[in-house]
Amino acid sequence: MALQIDALFIVGISIFTALLGEGVTYLLVYRTEKYIRLKAEIEKQTKKLEKKKENLGEALDKQQKKKIERDEERLKNNNRDLSLVKMKSMFATGFAFTALLSMFNSIFDGKVVARLPFIPISFIQGLSHRGLAGSDFTECSFIFLYILCTMSIRQNIQKLLGFTPSRAANKNSMMFAPPGQFK
Amino acid sequence: MANKQSAIDKSKPVTLGFFALMKLGMSKNAEWPDTEVFLDWIYWSRQIVGFFLGIIWGIIPLTGIIGLASFALASSGYVYLYCSYMNIDDEEHGGIWEIIKEGFMTNFASFLVTWIIIYSCLHFDDNLAVKL
Repeated sequence: MALQIDALFIVGISIFTALLGEGVTYLLVYRTEKYIRLKAEIEKQTKKLEKKKENLGEALDKQQKKKIERDEERLKNNNRDLSLVKMKSMFATGFAFTALLSMFNSIFDGKVVARLPFIPISFIQGLSHRGLAGSDFTECSFIFLYILCTMSIRQNIQKLLGFTPSRAANKNSMMFAPPGQFK
Repeated sequence: MANKQSAIDKSKPVTLGFFALMKLGMSKNAEWPDTEVFLDWIYWSRQIVGFFLGIIWGIIPLTGIIGLASFALASSGYVYLYCSYMNIDDEEHGGIWEIIKEGFMTNFASFLVTWIIIYSCLHFDDNLAVKL
């Protein structure tokens, strides 16, 4: 197979796997009542909390502080519940994609799928030149192109379908995740 | 009453269709209903810009660190110039740095994919993989 066809075929594979992944996640998570309820609640609570913080500013008395802390705790719990709901599909898609990836890996094993217009930095070379013979680091392996395609295509498909959480909720969930996870 | 109404509206997530978003994004001094909507516009317009930059960089072809650095500069420069040309109050949307960061990684990945594919297709032998 020619180089160009391989490269385009990999883009096709990543579109297919992204759609499949989102489809499975939709069936297992996004359409469930629990997910819809939790997502709506988190969005609402995040907006409410942001507005409350904005209105009260820096000068908070003890009672207001306590109230905000209580709201934050509730939001943290909802974020944790949402992560748990998502975990189910993450395991399912994780297993499916590992199997698919190893299959495609064996198909493209030792094949140059594209030419890089740059030489990657040393710690990326292990990935961009994986399974390839020789020391021409502008040669690109399947896995590198596939990861790049997935990074771009999956995120865009998720956003297009409206499955990404709002930025404020995302920011809050990242802020709350570490203590929640290790408790 | 009006205040109450606007408070209710603000608590709901605002979503706009693609064409409505585009119309708003193209108009100077536009009233953005929500920061989320504005950042969505920055995200999508950046994806389109990144895609076309990938094609141009691949055709020229720009290679190496010059290609990567010039993309980072062009992509960030696009957002910065857009905000100043359209008179966007960046503080209202979390500051210029937050706006420049919006969707950068996805944009970078899309650019890399387009750049690599166009470069490979136009400047290399069809049967390279077989030959090697």
